[in-house]
Amino acid sequence: MTFAEFFASYWWLMFPIFGMFLAAMGVFQDDARSTKAMDLIRTYVNQGKDPPPELLQMVAQDAESARGGAPSEHGRAWSFIVFAALSAGLGTGYYFVRAEDWAFAFLIGAVATGVMAVGALFLLVFGRKS
Amino acid sequence: MTVELFRDFWWLMFPIFGMVMAVLGMAREARAEDEVIARARRELEQRQ
Repeated sequence: MTFAEFFASYWWLMFPIFGMFLAAMGVFQDDARSTKAMDLIRTYVNQGKDPPPELLQMVAQDAESARGGAPSEHGRAWSFIVFAALSAGLGTGYYFVRAEDWAFAFLIGAVATGVMAVGALFLLVFGRKS
Repeated sequence: MTVELFRDFWWLMFPIFGMVMAVLGMAREARAEDEVIARARRELEQRQ
C-alpha cells in the first residue's frame, strides 16, 4: 500500500485523532494550571494576604468550565446556528459526491452535526434560562 | 502522485487551517494564564 492509497483510505481519521489530542492536551494543561493557581492562592491566604483578583477569576473560570457550566442563551443559539450550518454544508457535500466510495464520511459528519444541532435547539428552547 | 493527492484533497486545507488555529488559540490562552500565575508569584515574592 502506497502513502497515497493509505491517505485516501484513512484521511478522515485525522479529525477524531486531532479531537482526542486537543481534548487530552486541554485536560492535562488545565489540571496542572489549576493546581499551581490553587497552591498560589493557598500561600497568599496562609500569609494573610488577598490573592490577585485575576488569579481568583482564572480559577473560577476553570472551575466553571470543569463543572460544565451552562452557556448563556446567546451561546446556545450560536451553537445551534454553527451545528446547523455544518450539517447543511456536509449534507450538501454528501449530495454532490454521493456516488463516490468515500461519500459516507460526509454523511456521517452531516448526521453527527445534525444531531448536535437538534440537541442545541432543544437546550435553547427547554434549557434553564439564564 | 503529489498532484493527484492535492487534486483529490485540496479542500482539506480548510479544516487543517482550522485545526492549526485551534492549537494556536489554545497555546495563546495557556500562555496568558501562565503569565497571570507568574505575575501573582512575583507579587508574592516581592511582598515577602
